[in-house]
Amino acid sequence: MEQHYGKTEITFAALAGVLYTILGMYHIAEGIGIDIGIYEGMAGSLFIPGDILGGFCLVVTGGVFLYGFKEMMQGINAGVSFLYVGILMSLLFMMVYLLIMGGNLLDSFIVPQDYEGWSIMETFRPGIYLGILSLAGILYWKDRFSLNEVLVFREGA
Amino acid sequence: MTEKITVALAGNPNVGKTSIFNAITGSKQHVGNWPGVTVERKMGKRKHKDIEMQIVDLPGTYSLTAYSLDEIIARDFIIEEKPDIVVQVIDATNLERNLYLTTQLMELGTKLIIALNMTDLALAKGDSIEVQKMQEFLEVPVISTIGSRGGGIEDLLDSITEEIHRTRTNENVFVYDGEIEKSADELGNVLADDPYYSHYPSRWFSMKLLEGDENIIKKAKESGNYPQIRKILQRTDADSFEAKIADQRYKTIQTMLRQVCNINTDHLSGSDMVDRVVTNKYLGIPIFLSLMWAAFEVTFTFATPFMNIIDIFFGWLAETASDVITISWLASLVGDGMIAGVGSVLIFLPNILLLFFMISLMEDSGYMSRAAFIMDKVMSKIGLHGKSFIPLIMGFGCNVPAIMATRTIEDSRDRLITILIAPFVSCGARLPVYVLLAGAFFGRDAGIVIFGLYALGIFVALISAKLMRSTIVKGEDTPFIMELPSYKIPTLKGSILHMWERGKIYLKKAGGIILIGVVGIWLLASIPAPGSGGTFASEEIYGTTDSMIGFIGQIIEPLVAPLGFDWKIAVALMFGVVAKEIVVGSMGVLYGVGDNEDSLTEILAAGAMTPLAGLGLMVFTLLYVPCFACIGVIKRETGSWKWTVFQLLYGTGLAWIFAFVLYQVGSRIGLFA
Amino acid sequence: MKEKTLNFIEPETSVKVLKVTGQKSSRKRILDMGLTPGTRVEVIRRAPLGDPVEFKLKGYNLSLRKKEAETVLVEIIE
Repeated sequence: MEQHYGKTEITFAALAGVLYTILGMYHIAEGIGIDIGIYEGMAGSLFIPGDILGGFCLVVTGGVFLYGFKEMMQGINAGVSFLYVGILMSLLFMMVYLLIMGGNLLDSFIVPQDYEGWSIMETFRPGIYLGILSLAGILYWKDRFSLNEVLVFREGA
Repeated sequence: MTEKITVALAGNPNVGKTSIFNAITGSKQHVGNWPGVTVERKMGKRKHKDIEMQIVDLPGTYSLTAYSLDEIIARDFIIEEKPDIVVQVIDATNLERNLYLTTQLMELGTKLIIALNMTDLALAKGDSIEVQKMQEFLEVPVISTIGSRGGGIEDLLDSITEEIHRTRTNENVFVYDGEIEKSADELGNVLADDPYYSHYPSRWFSMKLLEGDENIIKKAKESGNYPQIRKILQRTDADSFEAKIADQRYKTIQTMLRQVCNINTDHLSGSDMVDRVVTNKYLGIPIFLSLMWAAFEVTFTFATPFMNIIDIFFGWLAETASDVITISWLASLVGDGMIAGVGSVLIFLPNILLLFFMISLMEDSGYMSRAAFIMDKVMSKIGLHGKSFIPLIMGFGCNVPAIMATRTIEDSRDRLITILIAPFVSCGARLPVYVLLAGAFFGRDAGIVIFGLYALGIFVALISAKLMRSTIVKGEDTPFIMELPSYKIPTLKGSILHMWERGKIYLKKAGGIILIGVVGIWLLASIPAPGSGGTFASEEIYGTTDSMIGFIGQIIEPLVAPLGFDWKIAVALMFGVVAKEIVVGSMGVLYGVGDNEDSLTEILAAGAMTPLAGLGLMVFTLLYVPCFACIGVIKRETGSWKWTVFQLLYGTGLAWIFAFVLYQVGSRIGLFA
Repeated sequence: MKEKTLNFIEPETSVKVLKVTGQKSSRKRILDMGLTPGTRVEVIRRAPLGDPVEFKLKGYNLSLRKKEAETVLVEIIE
């Protein structure tokens, strides 16, 4: 059978997998109060909150990418579907974080007294900047995500 | 002159029936229930070429047996109400199983039109279907449609108007093997002798008798010549006939399909690929949980600003009303009673709209069935369906949208149990009560206590489900037979329509109950207690011993005394029915510290209550009567006051027993002393 | 060839339906969904917790709990 992925797919899955997993674990570590930063204020500079559940979601997304990486390395054709689903998941979480950001911004106009000294960047999250990677991915592989109502990956294995 | 006709929409679940319905009726639709049951009925209107069509959306079914409520509703409507025409919506990518229902609709002898939906997807998949040939074979009009984009709807409407004046019957299209036909003929002759049956399509009636359809046999028993029917039936073996009839229907379909279409089976579809990931042995459950997190965040976190807008607006409105109205009792009635009441109805609207938007995305995309597939093992342990999991999870945010979300559960008994246990899942409004009480009494261990309360809520919900399954909501387990439809990209229009529909239902059906409840509590807090000499609705007596509610609190004090509560707690709990977080606020008023939570904490910690009674109060708050909004939706979704009252009594009874045992046993063994 | 019930079939195996047993209501539903004798069914996968099981037949995907699958008698297609 013809192979449906190449080096780009494998590299993308590995990179996204590692980034999501590490940053997700960093969220969890912050959430339970363990400082794993390499330098002072590292969590802050990466916009990492103490958020166990949010961290879990990023770790899961990373896990999906890494599972795809593993399968593609083993030569399993359908392994590439983990890459596609990973991209969709990361875009979904990016959207959720952006909505929360927008919601907070709106709230800061409604009840300004609760938001003294608050800046919008306080709700900026790794889920947003990591999503840019997937945004690039979906644009690069846009012909594989057919918008024909059904998710037909045209080059299905 | 305009002609009025009734058109029924039939079809399997997941075939895009709703999108066809929406495309035909637009916004002119009405959602209600089928008479006597809580299955939803959607109706809409459309005028086409001087013909006024009343469109009735039948429940989505795979067949027309008597084993499921949906199927009985669909077939009874066709038989009893005799719609002028039935349109069956068919998924073009899944012809074989869809046409099975067609064979049954044809036997019902109704005028039938087939809307061959999702033809674009079939094409994309590599299938080719010869519509013309299919039409000749079935002898009914077949119209290609793309419901999601409104494609083919005009053709469908044209076909309806043409067909309405044509005489034809579709009986006898499917011929079964000799033995079945012979018995069917004999039965047909007997039926023809008795005018009692003239109401029913005779061939269909005979076939159903031969299949051993209980519902139909019951009907036959009411007629004079049942002995003759029984004689014929005794010669036949219903079990083997049933299998043979199903088998031959499918065989006929296969014969036809071989001639009219070419189906591409030789590819791994996008759906299969997505399923490999989302139902993966290791990743399936984590992915599901992370999607739940996303749905939860959107429903509850993103809703905050909108809830604040509503809150502030009604606060302002109430204040303005109080300022404008000079008669003080009227000002209080309008401000604290009515406006606050309307506010407490509307405050849930952002949650409900957002949750239903998310649920609609999950259902329309096809992920909902996967979620049920993944979580079914867990839920089956307590006798429920995998689909019960999502409403229960959403309950952690708010029980009101959670109970409304049980609409996704098809089986009525599973749904009823899920509704009844949902209020035990500890919602966000109960958290402020825990935070205050646990903080006051348990200091550094507050976190553990709060976690324990959440766990207790889940425990009570699970045990109750198991208990109800084996007692009051008995019955054999519904077989778990669920289609995993192929994934589709949901349409924004469909999701928004769905969300709006739910919001409307909530406001219309639950809003009234909530409003009455809130105003009722205001009255109790404003009417002076007998003999107190207070003024009606004056600020001085509101909610105090001098008010009716305080008076009642004192009367029922002996009831709660064994739990370590005094009358103030009893009053605070009564206020808590308006919304559970109010328990804290009213305790503040009753203990004379007003809105100041810190002072309330101090007073409590200083010994106004024992830690044991405090824990009991938290447990009681968790389990007793849910808030009015919740009561309103329980009534709306169960369609019965009986079940609503049952939930209230059951919950409050449990709350009392738990708090009683805790306090009595705890104080004997010196717990937290 | 040996008869087995559908719940014992390993994923990624194709089978042919021989007979549906079990209670009337569930049997009828299973037949209605197309598991009529002679139908070819592929076992796709088990759910992450081992139950229910996903099948492919007549071009669509269906899931049954093991309890329901137990009522379907099949033989393996080599």
